[in-house]
Amino acid sequence: MVLLGFFILSFLSGLLVFLCGFKHNQCKTLVKAITLIFAFLHLALVVYCWIRIDETELTYFIFDKLGVLLLSILSLLTFTTIYHGFIYLKDETPKRFAIYHAALIALIFSMSGAYLANGIIVTWIFVEATTLSVVALIYHDRTASSLEAAWKYFFVCSIGITLAYIGILFLGFTVSGSDILELSFSELSKMSLKAEPLYLKIAFIFIFVGYSTKMGLFPMHTVTIDAHSVSPPPISAFISTTLMNVGFIAIFRVYSMLSTTMQVGTNIHQFMNNLLILSGILSLLIASGYMLKAKHNKRMLAYSSLENMGIVAIALGVGGIAYYAAILHIVLHSLTKAGLFYQMGQSKKVLGTYMLDESGDYLRLYPAGAAALMLGIICIVAIPPSGLFISEFMLFKAMVANGEYFYLIATVLLLTFVIYALITRVLHILFSKPRGNENPYTETHKSNKVNPVQTVSQFLLFGMVIYICFSQPEFLKNTINSIIQNLPK
Amino acid sequence: MNILLVILFGITLIYLCITERFRIHTKLIGFQGILLFALAFWELEALTVGNLIFVASETLIFKAIAVPFLLLKIIKKTGEERVFKNDFHELYSVVFISIGFVLSILIAYTMKLQVINTTYFIISLFGLYTGMYIIITHRKIFSHLIGFLIIENAVFLLSFAIGQEMPMLINIAVLLDIFASVLLLGIFAMRLKQNISDLTILKDE
Repeated sequence: MVLLGFFILSFLSGLLVFLCGFKHNQCKTLVKAITLIFAFLHLALVVYCWIRIDETELTYFIFDKLGVLLLSILSLLTFTTIYHGFIYLKDETPKRFAIYHAALIALIFSMSGAYLANGIIVTWIFVEATTLSVVALIYHDRTASSLEAAWKYFFVCSIGITLAYIGILFLGFTVSGSDILELSFSELSKMSLKAEPLYLKIAFIFIFVGYSTKMGLFPMHTVTIDAHSVSPPPISAFISTTLMNVGFIAIFRVYSMLSTTMQVGTNIHQFMNNLLILSGILSLLIASGYMLKAKHNKRMLAYSSLENMGIVAIALGVGGIAYYAAILHIVLHSLTKAGLFYQMGQSKKVLGTYMLDESGDYLRLYPAGAAALMLGIICIVAIPPSGLFISEFMLFKAMVANGEYFYLIATVLLLTFVIYALITRVLHILFSKPRGNENPYTETHKSNKVNPVQTVSQFLLFGMVIYICFSQPEFLKNTINSIIQNLPK
Repeated sequence: MNILLVILFGITLIYLCITERFRIHTKLIGFQGILLFALAFWELEALTVGNLIFVASETLIFKAIAVPFLLLKIIKKTGEERVFKNDFHELYSVVFISIGFVLSILIAYTMKLQVINTTYFIISLFGLYTGMYIIITHRKIFSHLIGFLIIENAVFLLSFAIGQEMPMLINIAVLLDIFASVLLLGIFAMRLKQNISDLTILKDE
């Protein structure tokens, strides 16, 4: 009943915030208050889920460890995103301020539902709901490019979600006679043991390609790149982390469900692994290629998200200890990338641009932001003391253990390009003068200075990622081990 | 009777690929809505009154009337009447559609799915192919939306092929999807009236 209460209160909060924009001229304080209350409600839900771990509620939802772990990250990033959103929208009109926050509440609600869904159809519905809510946020700036990105995102996600539904229809063969809506993932898993492997393979291809629009993986990665580059920075942070995690959990649940069929001697598990590795390597290839020619700072980070999701897909495909690496990578990437996108918002405020060539001298203009950017980049490229180093190292170890040297060489080579591209571009932003303009920073840049207190949240997020490099809390280790315990060794 | 309706649906798909006028695209999409209603009416044996009302409002009111009406309004507002001149020549379209149709037949028969109605399966596969074909080969976003609507209709037909009605929640989500895409296209049409032909602002160079 608590979950139902949360859903009802989310709906009411969103509706109230939306109506505020039309009813009151001075509604911003009220909108802020409702949004913050909603964030605390979400936090309370997370606590409740951890207390009732592995229990089912409202038939269609389960508080399993993976869902609740990702829900906890969502709750943490909800606070930082709301905080940076308040700063970003300081001069926004009350109406647009309200629409933004109503859509944000709807997005958080939908993502929470997707994480906790205990059935393939319920997951599909909540994933679809995330698309509808995030489009309003992508279009927030009302520019031609934001409209184009919103359209592309909506359109391709809709196609993707339709493809995923076709996959679900094929999966429906495995449960002929039963209502697929009523079945949980574990029940579907048992039924898939008797299913024709061909149907399962077809279903997985469709579901994987469909949900890769959300996870931002090849072949449906293009829309998330555009969405990242034009959304308000706090929303880019969300799209790049928690929303990609929605795609990950949808794929992971189907992957885990079908992995059990390996026990009856079919090769579906190997087939899924090959598909994941192929998609992961191609994602890395595309990310490294485009990052080398990136001219837009946020697009560069968007390609970095593609690269990281590629690593996660490869880790899932490799298996063994790489399963652990995949989950750890997802967690740490969420914290790091969110911090980096918040920082991008601040750098835009200071430098007045997202374009790489026009950026530069950031260390002199805003030292705290420059330090955060440098730290964030060290974390995201997985250089020690980044926690992502641990997950990538585990992946390489698993590849060596499995004798998958070709994948290892390809991954390392492509990651080298990514590191080179990211480091050289960030060094340019930090230390060089903008190209073609020796002294671009005048009075306007001085007046746009950001208060260093606003950067504290980024340091905290990066601090958590660095802490994981030195010591992984037992609680986190046990949770991840418990998530992957049923996967084939 | 049902087979006739499915074949008619297949013919609309071929016509959608070949025709160049958006008005005809729109009318054909509306006609597909009527065909889907008729199919649902004949096909779903355990159709309760509640279900019938929902399916009727989904297919007849929404797909056959509301969406075409909105699309025609957008055409009128933007003055966009035809697909881009340099798009694929009709002859190539015919060749590619024929290939798609043969492929659909081959896939359906290769899979030998006993639980699936083969004719429905062929046409729904062909619908998916046609929708994708239009999206890939046409440059205007209006055509992309038409492709998307065809895909949605093909999935609707696919659910009949399997003998399962789409769960109501899925139906509502799909309808919301279609509605939002038409709405977004409307915003596009009004904000970027002079050039809704292609999407070229966001790129990496």
